[in-house]
Amino acid sequence: MMNMTRSALWSRSRAALAGAMCAGALLAAGPASAAYPDRDITMIIPFGVGGGSDVLARTIGNVISELKLIPVKILPENRPGGSGAVGYSAVAKQKGSPYTIATVSVSFFTTPLQGGSPVSYRDFTPLAAIAQSPYILVVPASSEYKTLDDLKKAKRLTTGTVGVVSDAALLARMTSKALGVQIDAIPFDGEGEVMSALLGGHVNIAYFNPSEVLPQIQAGTLRALAVSSSQRVPALKDVPTFTELGAPIVHTQIRGLVMPKDVPAEAVTYWEGVLKKVAESDAWKKQYVDRFHDVPQFLDSKAFGAAIVETSNRYETLMKELGIIK
Amino acid sequence: MEIFGLLWDGIVQAAAPNILAGTFLGIIIGLLIGALPGLGPSAGVAIMLPVAVGFGGTAAIACLAGVYYGSMFGGAITSILLGIPGDAPSVMTVLDGYPMAQKGEAGRALGMSVFASFIGGLIGLIGLVVLSVPISRAALAFGPTEMTALMCFALSLVSVLGGRNVIKAFVALAIGFWLGMIGIDPIAGPARFTFGQMDLFEGLDFSVVAVGLFGLAAMFTTLTVSIDKRLASFSLRSLFPQIRDAISSRWELFSGSLVGFIVGVLPGVGATAATMLSYAVAKRFSRHPERFGTGIVEGIAAPEAANNSASYASMIPLFTLGIPGSATTAVMMGGLLMIGLQPGPLLFVNNPDFVWTVFGSFWVGNIALVFLTLLLTPALAAILFVPTALLYPMVLAVVAFGVYAIEYSTASIFIAVLAGVVGVVLTKLDYPAVPLILGLVLGPMLERNIRRTLIQSQGDVLIFVQHPIALTLFLLTIAALFIPVILKLLNKNKIPADEADI
Repeated sequence: MMNMTRSALWSRSRAALAGAMCAGALLAAGPASAAYPDRDITMIIPFGVGGGSDVLARTIGNVISELKLIPVKILPENRPGGSGAVGYSAVAKQKGSPYTIATVSVSFFTTPLQGGSPVSYRDFTPLAAIAQSPYILVVPASSEYKTLDDLKKAKRLTTGTVGVVSDAALLARMTSKALGVQIDAIPFDGEGEVMSALLGGHVNIAYFNPSEVLPQIQAGTLRALAVSSSQRVPALKDVPTFTELGAPIVHTQIRGLVMPKDVPAEAVTYWEGVLKKVAESDAWKKQYVDRFHDVPQFLDSKAFGAAIVETSNRYETLMKELGIIK
Repeated sequence: MEIFGLLWDGIVQAAAPNILAGTFLGIIIGLLIGALPGLGPSAGVAIMLPVAVGFGGTAAIACLAGVYYGSMFGGAITSILLGIPGDAPSVMTVLDGYPMAQKGEAGRALGMSVFASFIGGLIGLIGLVVLSVPISRAALAFGPTEMTALMCFALSLVSVLGGRNVIKAFVALAIGFWLGMIGIDPIAGPARFTFGQMDLFEGLDFSVVAVGLFGLAAMFTTLTVSIDKRLASFSLRSLFPQIRDAISSRWELFSGSLVGFIVGVLPGVGATAATMLSYAVAKRFSRHPERFGTGIVEGIAAPEAANNSASYASMIPLFTLGIPGSATTAVMMGGLLMIGLQPGPLLFVNNPDFVWTVFGSFWVGNIALVFLTLLLTPALAAILFVPTALLYPMVLAVVAFGVYAIEYSTASIFIAVLAGVVGVVLTKLDYPAVPLILGLVLGPMLERNIRRTLIQSQGDVLIFVQHPIALTLFLLTIAALFIPVILKLLNKNKIPADEADI
């Protein structure tokens, strides 16, 4: 049954793509943009079902359809493989078509930098960002380090990250520079393994999204030292930001959407409007922001575009410092 | 015992119609997904996630868990009947299951896999209920250093699986190690051996390679023999499970369950490695190791008990500490979040009803699976009456779909076919395929943990002997490698005529 649904989705999305191409041509030909969007939108999820990106993309899709923000349907389609390269390439291929959409993720930046993808952020049009996910620096409750300043006393620290090039690795680098202490990052194969290594005392510190550590902090097994956003997180009011503590570190994961390169300006404006309504809606707050303890923050296309360039540059610098790329 | 009171309440709660419906849907989907070559438990749980969440609360998690342990029952079906592993944790079941089916004992073999799955599940469940808190804390003691030692120990045990020619076994193992390195280097970053192919960036999917290397290779090989060759004689009796097999292989059932449980609790190791280790343990300590791989029930008992036991054990860190130790439990954790529960150390404290009801549903599901699969066994075993000329094309189509469905990628089909061709070549040249598979599963874990340890110790190799658990495991490794050699030398002196075994 599942497969039939899937193949039905496939053929529908094929039809949508074909339609999108025609529509793209029409848009380019004349001022027929008043009708946009007149076909279903394909939302490509470059990762498997059930993962973080999948939940994010599907929740955005749900909120848009619940609030009836657009007159057509959003058809989510998982295209996993190649650390996001397969799905993002499929989006970028629809150059100029405002009928294919995708969310950004860490792999959106890192896979192209690692040489694993034929497309990079330059092949996309940023639409808008609707939230940011901060990272919490934590230590085991039994750790001798009670504050961020205590970390300066250490001769050397170890941290666990998921993947060599990741937000946690980036934050470890930033913390190391800010505090002047050596921090070696050990790459693991998943957040669960990092958590095990931290609780088992095999690494000293770790960076997690709030929803991953809140239960541990509440249970008293981990202690939060600092949060990486520019403002405190509501769920962890007592935890100061890095900047409050005098460390110049602000880095969050931006939740935003992109379309292929060269989509008409009207489509961008249209989606800025839609996504602004999503970001301000109660449904979005309830279904995503509160559940994952994100920081709600709307960025328009221009600001989101600038944030994309900045994020990509951060990763590029990190990879150069680590000797992964030249 | 207060625990058993709580468990009994849980089982009673789990008998509520909605939870029962969730459990049954889960186990049936799990059976199907397990039996479909290629798709395994993690894909199955992910596919069911959006559906299950709609059931709400306890029924949702009972359903997802049902998919997980149900697939452990289902995986054995194609492994035995067709020699195609239904999912990664049932690869080892091929080794004795398929030869048994070819001998006309398919029903017996399937029956054994059901008994083993049930016993393994039972022991896993008892461990889950009684030991979950202390054992999850103990598992945290396994860091990269201890994992490295454990992998060395595992490799020393599985060295018995190489077959007669040691050199050829090591060559196959090395090929497996190499295949395991394809993809992005998980520790340093750059891509290795991908030749610019985006589809190789994430590395080879183990189930895809296993399906090709065992299943497709077996089918390709039959192309060279007369297709109308009748299978060995069948009797009606051969279609039915035999309870005495379970009694005669009680030791393999017990050791398999135990190994599966211990390995399953450890983060990042998984049920597949558990089956390999349990098969090796069973063979090493058997009185007739030479008969393993020729089609004996003991060879099915050990891995099938291990994978079911491991599936329950791997849920322990999730429920007690809020740590997903495998891809499958990570998806289940997503399910917990989506139904509004916070997986973490306080789950037991804040939601005891939920946890015990879910555990109760495991017991209900495990028992239901036994009856379901035992009833199906004769019908399934009768598949082998279908003429090869009809059966193989159908199977090939199903395999192609199953392999494609893992990542919706045609590249996976290509890789499976390629692995099949490699499998044929290996067979023709008398290289064993099992060490290759071992290398592919254990190699990456060994490599990653060695490198993690050395980052931790800043390159100091002495760390491996400074950790007591690691040191113990290394000493056991040395013992496992050298004691058989020494014994063999001693025996040889006594009985110089015994050369047939070399």
